[in-house]
Amino acid sequence: MNPENKNRFEPKIIAFVCTWCTYAGADLAGTSRMQYPANVRVIKFPCTGRIDPVFIIKAFQQGADGILISGCHPGDCHYIAGNYHARRRFAAFRKLLEFIGVDLNRIQFSWVSAAEGGKWVDVVTDLTERVRNMGPMVEFKELALEEQWSGGLDSPDLQQVYEAI
Amino acid sequence: MTQTINTSGYSAITDSIRNEARRILGDGTVSAVIGYTSSRREGSTQPTVITKSEDADKLLFTAACLNNLVVYLTKAKKDVPHEGRIGIIVKGCDLKALVGLLGESQLKRENLYLIGIPCNGVLGSLFNPSAELNSETIAPKCRECTDRIPAGCDFMPDVETVGLPELNPFYSSEIARLEALTPVERWEYWKEQFSKCIKCYACRQVCPFCFCEQCLCDRNRPQMVEQTPRPSGNLAWHLVRAMHLAGRCAGCAECERVCPMDIPLNLLNRKMAKELKEMYNSEAGFEVREKGPLTSFDEHDDQSFIR
Repeated sequence: MNPENKNRFEPKIIAFVCTWCTYAGADLAGTSRMQYPANVRVIKFPCTGRIDPVFIIKAFQQGADGILISGCHPGDCHYIAGNYHARRRFAAFRKLLEFIGVDLNRIQFSWVSAAEGGKWVDVVTDLTERVRNMGPMVEFKELALEEQWSGGLDSPDLQQVYEAI
Repeated sequence: MTQTINTSGYSAITDSIRNEARRILGDGTVSAVIGYTSSRREGSTQPTVITKSEDADKLLFTAACLNNLVVYLTKAKKDVPHEGRIGIIVKGCDLKALVGLLGESQLKRENLYLIGIPCNGVLGSLFNPSAELNSETIAPKCRECTDRIPAGCDFMPDVETVGLPELNPFYSSEIARLEALTPVERWEYWKEQFSKCIKCYACRQVCPFCFCEQCLCDRNRPQMVEQTPRPSGNLAWHLVRAMHLAGRCAGCAECERVCPMDIPLNLLNRKMAKELKEMYNSEAGFEVREKGPLTSFDEHDDQSFIR
């Protein structure tokens, strides 16, 4: 691959953020005119506790190269304990993704408060650059392109049966 | 080397559960008993619900009694009558599932009469239901079973079963084998496994914990999980399933038994159970847990992966 093409890859980062802290933090970064990569697409949720692991799978299937999940610092949850529940859920989900062979470097979790515009910029920039160096996330996309049930349709037994018809 | 497993206690267990079922149905303790009865093929068994004490002799327990009967108590199985107290025959693994449902307020203990089986292992499949129970034919879940004697039942046959010989564990060694692979190899392995899936949802129907009246995966608006049996939707379904069972699954391995495509479903469940036990020291057992590991939290949980 020539370096020119390599530079042309722009990762798609989906950020699932909680409305009370990280969204406000990202807003602060914006109003403070801080620069951060435009690769990030922010999706606002009421709370990190609302973020279902299936959203992450869905995002990867729809073409995300990296995923950021960010919410309030422990103890600051607007709904008292949503982020504590999310912390356990995503700790478990990470293990599951790791077990089926997804590279965990593509998923970043962070706590960004409404006052931490600078941290938001750092987190987004780091993740974007990391994913940019890793290249596109192809596993889920390839899977989505596989139209056929691939359970050995071309096995010798089936072929034999087919020819016998 | 094939080791034979002693199932000589099973006929005494059969006699004992018949007597007990006759007694509790006769004196009105329960309105029905859910148990196993013989099926059409020689040696095979099927679940049954008996409501009359004279039917008690239909009940039996053999190494071919594979089903987890607890699924018939859940609200997903509305066609099973739920009036009065229900007697149910449970093996150790089944009881763990039942206890999980008690913890999730799906069942009330006072509405149940538990007949525990001091189980010595069951067959891996009913392909040959009359097969001798040995280290080859035994179900994988039984190879590493540590809870073969149910605790806290209302009745347990007074039969000594000798216990299993030392068998090579199946799931823990398989998990260790997969963990040692590279991520790419693991992805290839699971891609291969999941692409076999035909989305028959037998794993969901048989699972005692899949009692939602509307499954997330059946919803169309928004459609979170593709419903056709294509590889990407299959992967999503199995990940969602593993996630929804994480911290709840009791390891009865019914999902794996009923899978027509032989996908190692319980492997995912055991992996999640292992991780949650390591992280939060919580696992399915005979004690009712008020909250599972993923429905509770500790302020000092590990957050080294969070920035």
